[in-house]
Amino acid sequence: MGEPRAQAVMRGLLKVWTDFSCDMDATPLLDKLNRGKFRLEDYRVLLINHRQQVVEGSRWIARAGSSITGEYADQRSLFLRHAISEHRDYRMLEADYVSVGGVLADILQAEKNIGAEALHAFMYQRASERNPFDLLGAMFIIEGLGRQKAGEWGRSIQKQLGLGDEQISFLLYHSVNDEDHMREFETVLNSGILDIPDMDRQIVKTARIVARLYRLQIEELGNV
Amino acid sequence: MVNQVYINALGAFLPGLPVANSAMEDHLGRVFGKMSKYRSAALKQNRIVQRHYALDPNGNWLCTSAGMAAAAIRDALNNSEASAKDIDYLAVSSTLGDGLVPGLASHVHAELGLGALEIANFQSVCASSLMAIKSAWLQLKCGEHSCAAVSGSEFASRYFRPGNYECVDEWREKGEIPFEADFLRFTLSDGAGAALLETEPNARQASLRIVWIDIRSYAHRFDACMVGGMVRQDADWRYWSGFPDTIAAAHAGAFVLTQDFDLMQRMLPVWVSHYLDLIERGMIVIDDIDHVCSHYSSHGLRRQIVDLLERAGAMIDEQKWFTNLYQKGNTGTASIFIILEELYRDGRLKKGDRILCHVPESGRSLNGFMLLEVV
Repeated sequence: MGEPRAQAVMRGLLKVWTDFSCDMDATPLLDKLNRGKFRLEDYRVLLINHRQQVVEGSRWIARAGSSITGEYADQRSLFLRHAISEHRDYRMLEADYVSVGGVLADILQAEKNIGAEALHAFMYQRASERNPFDLLGAMFIIEGLGRQKAGEWGRSIQKQLGLGDEQISFLLYHSVNDEDHMREFETVLNSGILDIPDMDRQIVKTARIVARLYRLQIEELGNV
Repeated sequence: MVNQVYINALGAFLPGLPVANSAMEDHLGRVFGKMSKYRSAALKQNRIVQRHYALDPNGNWLCTSAGMAAAAIRDALNNSEASAKDIDYLAVSSTLGDGLVPGLASHVHAELGLGALEIANFQSVCASSLMAIKSAWLQLKCGEHSCAAVSGSEFASRYFRPGNYECVDEWREKGEIPFEADFLRFTLSDGAGAALLETEPNARQASLRIVWIDIRSYAHRFDACMVGGMVRQDADWRYWSGFPDTIAAAHAGAFVLTQDFDLMQRMLPVWVSHYLDLIERGMIVIDDIDHVCSHYSSHGLRRQIVDLLERAGAMIDEQKWFTNLYQKGNTGTASIFIILEELYRDGRLKKGDRILCHVPESGRSLNGFMLLEVV
């Protein structure tokens, strides 16, 4: 269990996350999923969007790692290892996409929608700042989706579209494989970074920004 | 004038004898003459082992909802230093009254045989209990009245008789009813609870001072989840009164209580958010809470949420959780009174203890907390 300051940050993040997870349900795509009206085309669009996130995700985490100064070498190692652990996950998405009738070239070349552009631009900007530990707030939101929602969506999509496990491998895999990331997250939070002035508040604020931009890119699916 | 307000007595009324899991289906009656295929799943989910019904196995009423509420208030009066004549405000809560018109509060007042007094009627689902307590708290706090009786009563079983389901055309053709209808048959049961509130604490026994009550609706975010008197047709809700006649409404299933289980699961995060917000505002201080009385059991929370709450230092030790849902049944709006009544009687309360009460409502997503201090 962490120190009181880390616990306060966790409470702040948890609150942002709980609001975010409900707001996500109100997006047209997830509303449709919740109403049981999901189409194969919706799943393909979601996979394209996820691939962009996974590809960009490991890149901005790597950039954030390289923006961390020498005094935080341990944390830098964790960021870089995290980037490595995910940087090939997009292959699963591509396989899922092709298995449901998608053309590989389409998912490889798809242009980001206007929400995704805003999300990723923000991430790279922050990742380029010195010691951008506020991005832990971003990771909490995005990892939280993998941990809590990906499996729920995956099972629901699988059921509605009658897909085999191998056609929805990414969503199902992420729901069981993100447990360790939360421990890693807590380690960094308790590693002394909260001694940086105002960092506790910045982490929660970045989480709020990312939650909003993440929802925006889901709202703007297809709007390239 | 701002008074302190105290819960000075609690009462409960559970009709008939306890009905065990093995007997409940024959007590309510088997729909289409068959054993339910969802029974064990529903019971595993809610973990209830026994409950009470205001119906006998033949469908005869043992009492009304108003009668149960009045019995619970009389029980509270028996435990109270005040007398019936002191009551000058009556707040009544229920999911459904005995009839459509007039309000249940009028019937409860009549059953009690009290003189003229102010009454208020609160109809929602489980959290109507906190609405009623909050109204009484505010009435007493501002000096409008000095002694309030508050009740919560439910008579859910009358909607669980087989005939209520067998008349639905779609289900009659299939010969079975869906999980969203069957689940509630194995979850909700009957009973009433009551509290007596005054502006002075008891002279001889412990009182529970109401520190605050915080209720929030999230209906702007969710569709209706636990419904009765309406039915989904295509994408839209159709109310029973919108059918050509009540027979047609019954055939369409508009009078059946149903629960959308997936939707309820999606409500959990906003309830957690409400809780975290109260911590942030300093209204809940985790280490100061000695007892948690929740109408929602901790096992219903997903492991991941408990895990996150623990990491955030926001989980209250499970040993502090007190419930009697498993033995007394889920009696909807009556539950929080029935839980508090047993906690008070149980003898474990000490002066200065703080009790956090939690009443979520899946109806259309509503969440309420109440903090009490033993004085």
